[in-house]
Amino acid sequence: MSSIIGPKQFQIPRIFPRPMSHSGIWWWLGTVDHKKIGTMYGIVSFFWFIMGGIEALLIRVQLSQAENDIISPELYNQLFTMHGTTMVFLVVMPLSAAFFNWLIPLQIGARDVAFPRLNALSLWVFIFGSILMNISWLTGEAPNGGWFGYPPNSTIQFNPGNGMTFWVLGLNVLGVASIAAGLNFIVTIINMRAPGMTLMRMPVFTWMTFITSILIVLALPILGVAGIQMTGDRVYGTNFFNSEAGGDPIFWQHIFWLFGHPEVYILILPAMGIVSEILPTFARKPLFGYTFIVFSGIIIGFMGWFVWSHHMFTVGLGPAANTAFTLSTMLIAIPTGVKIFNWLATLWGGSIKFTTAMLFSIGFIAMFTIGGLSGVTHAVSPSDAQQQDTYYVVAHFHYVLFGGSIFAIFGGLYFWWPKFTGYMLNERLGILNFIIMLIGFNLQFAPMHWLGLDGMPRRIYTYAENMGWELSNLAATIGGFLIAFSVLIFMVNVFISRINKKLASGDPWDARTLEWSISSPPPHYNFVEIPKVEHIDDWWYKKYPELLEGSPKQTKSPKVTVEDTSNVDESKIHLPDLSYYPLFVGVGLSIAALGVIYSYALVTIGLILVFWGCIGWSTEPVNEPHEKHH
Amino acid sequence: MSILKDLFHYNGNGWWRIPKTSESKTNPQYEHPFGKFAGMSKDFWTFITSGKGHASPAYYWAIAIILGLITMIEVWWFDVDELRYLLVPAMLFFSLVKFILVVAFFMHLKFDNKLYSTIFVTCMVIGVFIFSLFLVLSAFHGLGN
Amino acid sequence: MSNQDVTIQHGEEIKNSTGVSNKKLLMWAFLGSDVMFFGTFIGTFMAYRNKSLNGPYPSDTLDIPITSISTFVLLMSSLGVVLALHYLKESKMVLAKLWLILVIIMGMIFMGFQVYEFSHFAHIGMTPQANLFGSTFFTLTSLHGAHVSLGIIWLIFLLYNEYKGNLTSENAIDLELAGLYWHFVDIVWIIIFALLYLITAGDGVPPGGLPWIAGQ
Repeated sequence: MSSIIGPKQFQIPRIFPRPMSHSGIWWWLGTVDHKKIGTMYGIVSFFWFIMGGIEALLIRVQLSQAENDIISPELYNQLFTMHGTTMVFLVVMPLSAAFFNWLIPLQIGARDVAFPRLNALSLWVFIFGSILMNISWLTGEAPNGGWFGYPPNSTIQFNPGNGMTFWVLGLNVLGVASIAAGLNFIVTIINMRAPGMTLMRMPVFTWMTFITSILIVLALPILGVAGIQMTGDRVYGTNFFNSEAGGDPIFWQHIFWLFGHPEVYILILPAMGIVSEILPTFARKPLFGYTFIVFSGIIIGFMGWFVWSHHMFTVGLGPAANTAFTLSTMLIAIPTGVKIFNWLATLWGGSIKFTTAMLFSIGFIAMFTIGGLSGVTHAVSPSDAQQQDTYYVVAHFHYVLFGGSIFAIFGGLYFWWPKFTGYMLNERLGILNFIIMLIGFNLQFAPMHWLGLDGMPRRIYTYAENMGWELSNLAATIGGFLIAFSVLIFMVNVFISRINKKLASGDPWDARTLEWSISSPPPHYNFVEIPKVEHIDDWWYKKYPELLEGSPKQTKSPKVTVEDTSNVDESKIHLPDLSYYPLFVGVGLSIAALGVIYSYALVTIGLILVFWGCIGWSTEPVNEPHEKHH
Repeated sequence: MSILKDLFHYNGNGWWRIPKTSESKTNPQYEHPFGKFAGMSKDFWTFITSGKGHASPAYYWAIAIILGLITMIEVWWFDVDELRYLLVPAMLFFSLVKFILVVAFFMHLKFDNKLYSTIFVTCMVIGVFIFSLFLVLSAFHGLGN
Repeated sequence: MSNQDVTIQHGEEIKNSTGVSNKKLLMWAFLGSDVMFFGTFIGTFMAYRNKSLNGPYPSDTLDIPITSISTFVLLMSSLGVVLALHYLKESKMVLAKLWLILVIIMGMIFMGFQVYEFSHFAHIGMTPQANLFGSTFFTLTSLHGAHVSLGIIWLIFLLYNEYKGNLTSENAIDLELAGLYWHFVDIVWIIIFALLYLITAGDGVPPGGLPWIAGQ
């Protein structure tokens, strides 16, 4: 919606005045500042991480022994569905979004994103959409059709009740949040870079965000369509996946995986970006093969569109289609491998400092490689015919998503925590966190490889005693609890560090990119003066210009230090004012979605809120005309 | 005509020789074999846009009339039974032409920064390619079984 | 060299990295994502063509002459919005308002045709629940209609602002954005008309009999 600023300042009448103060609850509810939005994304998605983890632990407890009956089959179905959906949509995607929000404006040298209120909208739609999806637990009917919701199992005929309807509506609402964020970051990265920052001088994390945003903007609409079709089938009786009317359940699989495969690249590319920032910092060496890493990311993003049917090898597409997708899937391993080799080369010959962030990044490389190797075995359709729907697949995607994305996210948390909060996280607890997480993770998911090859199917709530699977399952359960323990250590670390408050300087790691040139935490306007960029890793070369002149090693003392914010004339810096309209639209959208299940009155209320919010937003100027700026 | 003469002329150096066109001169006026036509269409272009390089209302009306005519041809084609066997390619062709006219001129893509065109064309290419792939897969479901 | 991007709003003096307007870039990226949205629906329609197990079939229901008229109306509304933008940029406010009103009226006529068509179909027993053709046809055209309706609301809002004096040649980019959206909706209709109506209108009982019946 455009912001009409005319000769007369026209706004629709306000019931509540525009929040202006810089303290209290409205400072957070009405914020349009990317840093606060990033913090809120992080906190809410960490909460869902705990929830999803609890769902996983319940699954593991149930599976730890043969013929266990702690959890009923119905509850088990709900647990694995919600665990998958939560982890993918409510944890990894928003945690990545938290990093995008915090870091992109800082890394490109901007004061905020291109559309701050749209940014806030993404946040609120995410929060209320996640609540919408989880309200279903309270009704006793959580979604139970798997995180991929295949019909006919998820049709209203075989799955009556509201569970799966909550699921599709929740996904559609969350899709809106992601698309808005993706659009915002595309415009921000294209248009708001500091002077001198060409595309090939951007940090790798920014590049990966850019590619991820393009993938989000193209893939999430496809999920939206699938969701609308399934909502139509479940609520209005349409026939998209109703085989009795000629509908084909395989079409759901096609449409879902057309979204689903780019989705997994959306999940992993930000993590690769984070690792590409951490490795050079702690190896004290530039990233090896910057151009190759960037172009590999672009190729992964592009080729990711052509591999979706590798999730459907056993569905009966025929040898011709299976062969084509085998080839394309094997090809996509190539750019990924290029990245791995470049990261290894970054480490080689570096003067490595094993901080927690560095440990997580190296762990990422190792775990992601293992997951990638099992993925290549899936790519070959004959061998996939044995592995499909077994625990081997579960092992694969947990290695790449947990050992990949989550490890990288934890690494990013340890790396950028001083920047976000102004104090350091305790390194000893951090290393303990890493070690226990690594051991627990491998203990949990490595056995799944041989369990799967031995034939243990996915999504079974128990198994017979004489299968020989008990020991591995028990080991996996213990591993799961170790992971939970390590997450607890992380939370204890956060708590203790907050109390000890070991203040961090702007650049505690002597790092390379622009976000380290400002104080920790950054002032609300980010940069005193927008920097002029001359190289990749511009901050590094401003600190140590002798490296450009041929010196092999940097000096002990950097030439420039973090920006001094003591004498800033803030009246010259214009930042957008707070706004509550994004919150209204976010709440309204989720209420409207809830109304599709329960009552049209709710839909009407929701849509009224959405319209009011949108019109208010369009007529509200970016800044209220008032004398004092903050 | 002189091109044809050149093509069939045989001056003893070989039975074929590449005809001399305007680009083989130094500082050719047009850069490629169709340069002359490009040049002519450029002049027509300037004429249509009344020399300002961007459109006047008459120009938009002209595009709209062309769009209307194409729609009428589409509907006529649909009605004629003898041409029914060509219906699908014809409809695809006409809708493509209308699409390009609206996108390039009404949406001003032709005159705007190339960035917009890159974005839109990329999305169209990915979208059309994927859905064609999807349709092919559906049509040949089970091929080779 | 476009003079479209020169429109800078008061208070916004950001010089950005490429010189293109943030809002216009956002709108084009959004239209790119909408391409995927409509593309999926159109793909589903084409994949399910000729697969309905029971009538009513397209040949019994689709009315090409009426739909041609509504297509024509929508095309002309595209012309209208581009003319409204042109006159707004040249500050010829009377003509700009006139053309914007015409666009809104033409949009409403189009929606009127859609409503008429849907109610007519319901009368002859074609509903979204009836068969595959009904499901795919209705979802696709309803979503398109929803897009058109949102566009009409947006244009009415802009018209209101024009009357209030808030929409002038200086912030004409706001009308341009609505125009881009409107043209996109028109393009989607062009494709829907060709694929859903013209190509499908001859479909009756699927050739070779009904699929998925034993022995066929």
